[in-house]
Amino acid sequence: MTTETILFLLRVGSGIILMLVLLALFIILWRDYRSAVTGVEANRRIYGQLIELKEIDGRYLETGTTYPLLSLTSLGRSPTNAIPIHDTFASGEHAMVALRNGHWWLEDRQSRNGTTLNEVMIHRPAIITDGDIIGVGNTRYRMELEQ
Amino acid sequence: MTAITAPETNEKKSFLNVERILLLLAGVFLLVNFFALAFIRSGFGITDALQLVVWVVCAAAGQWWLERRLPRRDMLLFPIAMFLSGWGLLLINRLTQPFADRQTVWLVISVGVMMLVAGFPHPLRWLRNYRYILLMIGLVLLVGTIILGRNPSGFADAPQLWLGIGSVFFQPSEALKIILVAFLASYLAEQYPALRAEEMSGGRRFLNVSPRIYGPILLMWGMSVVILVWQRDLGTAILFFIVFLVLLYVASGSTFILASGAALILIAGVVAYKLFAVVELRVDIWLNPWPEADGRAFQIVQSLLAFAAGGIFGQGIGQGSPGYIPVTHSDFIFAAIAEEWGLLGIIVVITCIAVIVTRGLRIAISQRPQSFLSLLAAGLSMLIAVQSLMIMAGVLKVIPLTGVTLPFLSYGGSSLLISFIIIGLLLRLSASED
Repeated sequence: MTTETILFLLRVGSGIILMLVLLALFIILWRDYRSAVTGVEANRRIYGQLIELKEIDGRYLETGTTYPLLSLTSLGRSPTNAIPIHDTFASGEHAMVALRNGHWWLEDRQSRNGTTLNEVMIHRPAIITDGDIIGVGNTRYRMELEQ
Repeated sequence: MTAITAPETNEKKSFLNVERILLLLAGVFLLVNFFALAFIRSGFGITDALQLVVWVVCAAAGQWWLERRLPRRDMLLFPIAMFLSGWGLLLINRLTQPFADRQTVWLVISVGVMMLVAGFPHPLRWLRNYRYILLMIGLVLLVGTIILGRNPSGFADAPQLWLGIGSVFFQPSEALKIILVAFLASYLAEQYPALRAEEMSGGRRFLNVSPRIYGPILLMWGMSVVILVWQRDLGTAILFFIVFLVLLYVASGSTFILASGAALILIAGVVAYKLFAVVELRVDIWLNPWPEADGRAFQIVQSLLAFAAGGIFGQGIGQGSPGYIPVTHSDFIFAAIAEEWGLLGIIVVITCIAVIVTRGLRIAISQRPQSFLSLLAAGLSMLIAVQSLMIMAGVLKVIPLTGVTLPFLSYGGSSLLISFIIIGLLLRLSASED
């Protein structure tokens, strides 16, 4: 091998290493970013979720939208709620789901059309649990707790 | 290249963690390029081999020490700093061989001091509690340089920014960087409630800006002017002022500060253009270097030609001719990289510096509850960011040239030492003890 060939090979080698450095940095930063994101999401999803449903012919169908269950989740038409509801039957501050003393409570916030729990109108705060259906206006939410 | 061994410290984790993979890549890169350099010079000197060995020992020792002392540190800062400084060593060896030995000694000192900073108990509390003493030391250094300053090159005309004992020279303005950032961070952390209250007052912000805010701005502005007038050190003056402005902005969240600070820089720039020949020269050759390509603008024109000659993959180490650029080994080292490693090399350098800066800012965010630590991390990473941007953009003729070093890469002991101290402090902050 001539000197020129060796030098060329070394040049190619050093270029490849530089690219490997870039690749390694990219992978490390990407993994770091992913773990940071999943960390944030894990913090939010400890409790469970509320799955939005539509009632059609007596059957509940999932609309595909789910909301994370926070330790205090507010429902209503106003956009400041944790679960904003686009429904003229819903009041601005309609209802809320809150964790108190290890139980989940559903509370109606003096809404005009009321809140239902498993299709029964509630008049005072009620304890709810996994699988219960919350109804606000025409929309239903199924509660799913993380085990 | 398997000198990076510390199996007894972490038997549970896999041997190859992030830090070691990057150090290994850096080591292979240096080996390949030193080998190519030896081929071109048709001989591998004992000192070249020694430099490589010293680098490997520094990397291994630093990694081992950090693994022991700061197991929860940021894993990217140290290997990237080692990669860049090793590359710098290689470049200095290639460009000005006699200086490389000196730089190797400085590398050993720098890594040693970084290890000290990483292992020393409570350096951050120390920085905060003794800030007035530190500030006094900094000001004494500044005044001392104005009175006793020398230039190692010996030219009577050159800026005299160094203090020397025998044949060892140190640039006090480098140390001043860290001292002033630490001082300002602790001052602003103390004024934090007042600064934030200022923000709360909302609409009437223009009317009642308190001396708490414009006091430090004017102080720093005055200091930058002193550095500029007495030392003719344009780069450091601008660097100081921009970093302080950003710190103040981070602490107060007020855009009014950014706007007024930018206006002060512009005013100072116009005045300096009229008053100082060095500023006038820099701006003139930035606007149009070509009429004087053989004269005063020779350096910048040669630098641009080096970028052009590099192309995408570069000429290969030792095969370009960055020697045409005066003082390539310090201010214009970025142009030398461009010529011999091309666009690829430049992208790697910029990525590495960007990673250091973003990690630093991330540390600042994670330390947000403690305003001093947060501001310190932000200030230190802004030092590296602004300095690198100034010299990289200056060499590319994007902004007027200001003579500052490229952190880790340029020749210069004080610059290398201070850059490694910054890395040490950031590592310390990322481990979130103290």
